[in-house]
Amino acid sequence: MTLARRRGGTAERLVAPPAWPYPEPVDLLERDRERAVLAAAIARAHAGQGSGVAVTGESGAGKSTVLSTARAAMREPANAPTRFLIGSCDPLWTPRPLGPFRDIGEIASAAGLGPLLDGLDGLDGKDLALAHLCERIYEVLRDRATVLVVEDLHWVDAASVEVLRFLARRIEAMPLALLVSYRDDEIGPGHPARPLLGDFARLVSLSTLSLRPLSVDGVRTLVEGTSLDPERVHAVTGGNPFFVAEVVKDPSRPLPASVRDAVLARAADVTPEDFEVLQMVAAAPDRLDDRVLPALGVDLPTLRRLDATGLLTRARGGLTFRHELARRAVETTIPPGGAPRLHARLLTALERIEPRDPAVLTHHAIAAHDGARVVEYATQAARQAIYAGSHSEAAAFFETALDHQDAAAPAERAALLLRLANERYMTSRLSEAITQVSATFSLWRQAGDPSGLAAAYNACALYEYYAGRRRQAEAYADRAASVAAAPGHELRDATARAYATARAYATARATRGYLAYMRGELALAGQCCAESGRAADQLGQGELALRSQLIQAACAVADGDGDSRALLVEHVETARAHGWDELVSTGHSSLANLDVEQRRHPEAEHVLAESLPFTIERDIPICRHWQTAVRSRLHFARGRWSAAVEDAEQVLEGPGMPLATLWPYLVTALVPLRRGTDGPETHLDAARRLAEQLDEPPRRLAVFSALAERMWMTEQLDPLVTEAAVAELPELAAAAGSAWAAGDLAVWLARLGLLAERPFLVAPPFQLTLDGQHEEAAAWWRRAGEPFAEAMAWCDAAAPAARARGIELLDQLGAIGTADRQRAALRRDGVSQLPQRPRTSTRGNPAGLTNRQLDVARLVARGLTNAEIATRLYISPKTADHHVSAVLGKLGLPTRRAVVVQADELGLV
Amino acid sequence: MSRGSAERTVVTPDGAGPAEKRKEPPMPRFVIERDIPGAGNLTQEELATIAQTSCDAVASLGVPYTWVNSYVTGDRIYCVHEADDAESILEHARRGGFPANRVSVVANEIGPHTAELAPVAAPAPAPAR
Repeated sequence: MTLARRRGGTAERLVAPPAWPYPEPVDLLERDRERAVLAAAIARAHAGQGSGVAVTGESGAGKSTVLSTARAAMREPANAPTRFLIGSCDPLWTPRPLGPFRDIGEIASAAGLGPLLDGLDGLDGKDLALAHLCERIYEVLRDRATVLVVEDLHWVDAASVEVLRFLARRIEAMPLALLVSYRDDEIGPGHPARPLLGDFARLVSLSTLSLRPLSVDGVRTLVEGTSLDPERVHAVTGGNPFFVAEVVKDPSRPLPASVRDAVLARAADVTPEDFEVLQMVAAAPDRLDDRVLPALGVDLPTLRRLDATGLLTRARGGLTFRHELARRAVETTIPPGGAPRLHARLLTALERIEPRDPAVLTHHAIAAHDGARVVEYATQAARQAIYAGSHSEAAAFFETALDHQDAAAPAERAALLLRLANERYMTSRLSEAITQVSATFSLWRQAGDPSGLAAAYNACALYEYYAGRRRQAEAYADRAASVAAAPGHELRDATARAYATARAYATARATRGYLAYMRGELALAGQCCAESGRAADQLGQGELALRSQLIQAACAVADGDGDSRALLVEHVETARAHGWDELVSTGHSSLANLDVEQRRHPEAEHVLAESLPFTIERDIPICRHWQTAVRSRLHFARGRWSAAVEDAEQVLEGPGMPLATLWPYLVTALVPLRRGTDGPETHLDAARRLAEQLDEPPRRLAVFSALAERMWMTEQLDPLVTEAAVAELPELAAAAGSAWAAGDLAVWLARLGLLAERPFLVAPPFQLTLDGQHEEAAAWWRRAGEPFAEAMAWCDAAAPAARARGIELLDQLGAIGTADRQRAALRRDGVSQLPQRPRTSTRGNPAGLTNRQLDVARLVARGLTNAEIATRLYISPKTADHHVSAVLGKLGLPTRRAVVVQADELGLV
Repeated sequence: MSRGSAERTVVTPDGAGPAEKRKEPPMPRFVIERDIPGAGNLTQEELATIAQTSCDAVASLGVPYTWVNSYVTGDRIYCVHEADDAESILEHARRGGFPANRVSVVANEIGPHTAELAPVAAPAPAPAR
């Protein structure tokens, strides 16, 4: 049994603290501004208004010092003390997930972190969804005034970044002062902390303090009373406070040339045996755990002697250097040959105490050149990281394990590579994932394991598809099925190997079925799903069986069978009841996509409102990207162009999955076109290339439509439209599920006078337009809530009055470019009376609202007060006021009551 | 029968056996309270492991230190140690991974025998005739 040990953030000392050579206040020279900012943040937290401060500076600039004096200076009523919590990040090879939070006793126990990450036996990994963890930590921090310090952010892990970002989003309405510190030169573009720092820069309630080196005057004050020359000291130290303090501690010594020399000078009088202990402490990146001191033979008199150097302190349950610079200085004294032995000793000692921290053990095993242990501990550490939602760390650990795996059985190595590939996919590094999975093929063959090979082919199929490469995806899916169905394999064979193979077969067929569905090859999809379903039923694999049913339901909806939508929804609910998250999310993705494609916009809104948070909560990146792209298209169709561009840019700017980028490319190209502003030149081309690779009729048709619209707007001949689109329309329109996209293209071609023959089946609104029933078409679009399509339908009519009405609508939408184009067409047709361009928008429209403002507008439409809105969105009442004003302004409405009244019209329901 | 004498067995770093007695002022005794929920349910094996950890921690200190004994109750363990100062007590706790929620130095030890030193009551006055 392990005895629970409280690991608080308090520092302990063996003997009385060493006398400072100068009084406390002078300790913090030239930091008055920073102290004021920190004090203000803490005072605000106490008043219930949270904020954040980031303290940056080079090593030794005094980041920790300024934070600790902020604590000392806190003045507060005795009956409501502010909680002060400190966590820090460690310089491990790969950081341990949620490291800083695990050190904070209160947070760790309240969030259930302690046992969960310390031991893996008998735990349900699903309990520790990162989103749940964020909520639990939030609950701990919101009920009491707290200062949360996280130091050394440059060593932070990805999961902690997510938690901090979560807190940063809600911090306004929390009694929390979030103080972080880091070395800015150590945080490059790809660093996990970057998104958090981006939040700091963007949000108003977070600020950054940059600690500058001391000036010569500052140095002068510190060296007062000694014979040191301030100018010289400043020149040598560069004004680095730590370095200066080291110099001042022993002014009689000659000036050290570097911080390293200064630190080592303090250990000059230490015996060789004691110095080895210092080196051992230096070799421990986090701290030398107190509980290994017996195994390492470090006794109490030794510690007392070492305390005299002033280099060490007691913190976080162990011995640590007071400053990282000191630790590194001592670390450099370890001879190259001596390091492995030192780390091996530490490793052995650490293995004896419970609970073990695999991230720390991995660190020492690497330095000890102990390959077998690296593999064992890195694999454990990777599992922990996955539980904590830290996929980039999990990938790093798997990579470490693979690097140190020398003579492993091929199946073992392949299994590890496959897991690494999965983590690469989870962090959107698809090409690496594909490379790694491909490397497993020969290994599975060597091991003679068809089920492993089939699973690898299947994984590759999915990754290739997410990367937008359909041909390769189909080929891999087919290969997976053929490998798994190779002769000699009996479904009724009860061995585990046969079971795994049969399962791989069922999975591969389901994948192939999904690919066929996305291409509108419904017959093939049906066949694959039937095969998959049969095999799954025989194996008793409920999830796989439901997957094929779900795909078949989606096929039916795509084909125009409205009744099947309810069935698809039912399947999603069944999956949810069983906790099959990935299947739920896939179902959502298909449902939302079909709803938007088939113009069921209110239904699509409801699906996405629930499904997008689900993808974030359950950590399913492909669906998150895909659904954000679907929402971008939905916003675009409903005329909410600012929100549409917001979503589109979000999908395009992250590493993301190419599969999801098609509509974002179209949106970011078409919105500026319609508005009459400049837009990204290359996006339509990128969309076209992607659509060709994907080879899915609805997507190819959508790109042709966009190209046609551009040609119509710019009046520049585009052979892609005049030749390719015209030629391919009939065939593309014949594919199942293309009726809407084909109708859209047919209408554009008709506007360009290029429509030779009408495709057999187009969706109702386009049918109306092609039949010349423009008023009915406009009414249809109005009911569907697509203002741009409605306006264009009016403009398609012959009567000038109708066309003028269309232009008015375009103006209101902010589609100035399109409106001007229509005006030009009217003029050419000899109409003299043209509607004027409006000076200001006389009637409001939601075109300019951002996603956040849309959220607020919807809540206003439901009659919530500003206070209720603030609570609902975790923002302060002041910010809520600000948003509501902005919303009213953009909508051009005088009161919130007007928003309620016009909610339907504005599409806010 | 006094227990307050200066005789203590002392385990010294140089390995002198427990039978050796030193003529030094006695080391203070400390009572340590360790809050451990469920302590009373620890099995014999678990207790043995804990005891071994404690002994290892004592041995690693390199200063005079005696773990006298401990009483395990439902949610708390009471330990009696001898050491030069409370700092050593805390150091032992850190090394063993034990909580040390309260450390009190023993001012006096008493027992039934201590009553012998109580002042004798004055004899009752003889009844008047």
